[in-house]
Amino acid sequence: MVKLAAKCILAGDPAVGKSALAQMFRTDGAHFQKNYTLTMGIELLVKAVSIPETSDSVEFFIFDSAGKDLFSEVLEKLWEQLNVLCLVYDITNEQSFNNCAKWLEKLKTRAAGMHVPGVLVGNKTDLVGRRVVEQKQAQEWAEQHGLEYCEMSVKEMKNFETPFHILAKSFHQLYKEKVETFHSLA
Amino acid sequence: MRGTDWCLSSAGAALVLATSSDEQHPAESVMDGNSETFWTTTGMFPQEFIIGFPRCVKISKVAIQSYLVRTLRIERSVSEDPVGFEECIEKDLEHTEGQLQKEEFPLPEFQATYLRFIIKSAFDHFVSVHRVIAEGAAENT
Repeated sequence: MVKLAAKCILAGDPAVGKSALAQMFRTDGAHFQKNYTLTMGIELLVKAVSIPETSDSVEFFIFDSAGKDLFSEVLEKLWEQLNVLCLVYDITNEQSFNNCAKWLEKLKTRAAGMHVPGVLVGNKTDLVGRRVVEQKQAQEWAEQHGLEYCEMSVKEMKNFETPFHILAKSFHQLYKEKVETFHSLA
Repeated sequence: MRGTDWCLSSAGAALVLATSSDEQHPAESVMDGNSETFWTTTGMFPQEFIIGFPRCVKISKVAIQSYLVRTLRIERSVSEDPVGFEECIEKDLEHTEGQLQKEEFPLPEFQATYLRFIIKSAFDHFVSVHRVIAEGAAENT
């Protein structure tokens, strides 16, 4: 049995649904925040995910960080030693998708050559008529940048656990590969 | 005269604490004298382990075999319980791909009942520690 711990940063533009996702995940879908509140600085929540077909688990320390640039300097330190990234955009807001490149750039400069598993998440699939970012387009962009991809509707409680299951699996895989490397050293 | 390695479980050393948990790679692996077995950290730093000696012993050299460790801090305590630690040394280690880090810390002879190894940062998400050695003169009784 292995219990892994991962520092997970929730990144993305303001109002794409980062905090809503975090709260839903924390409460197993019991709490959807109907009113928008701007996250100032940072909120931390801790939750474990088990890895299917093993007795292993990954405990996520999820840093729900402010999307607004205003706070970015304060949050510089936060990006140090992160383990996984959950990058969220709003499928009805093209700007929020385009800015994912900017968020990813930030990650690259902080990760210092280390491979950081990440997932790109398109939120608000409930707003069918207002979609401007096509799934195919986003999926291709994610692939090009070495990210996993999924879509969800936090509001309709659809797929809100998927990003964390994807990240848990990747992080667990990374651990297993490292242990193989450690074995080969002596 | 050949020194004793006080960190060996066969010399009476015992593990007091380790912060991470993979049953297959427990921290006891750093005390078995075998470089092939190892302790793994399981995510997020700092990570640490504490080794207790059977009594207060004299140590003149500490060494570690590890992989991917960046900043390492070693502390000692002379208390009966594992409290009141003070710094022995803190150092940034080098990393070479595919090669075990073998680092020696020559220290002025000191006494200790416990040694604490803190991995403050790393070159990757996980590190391994294969052996720790605390060499000192075997006691003349």
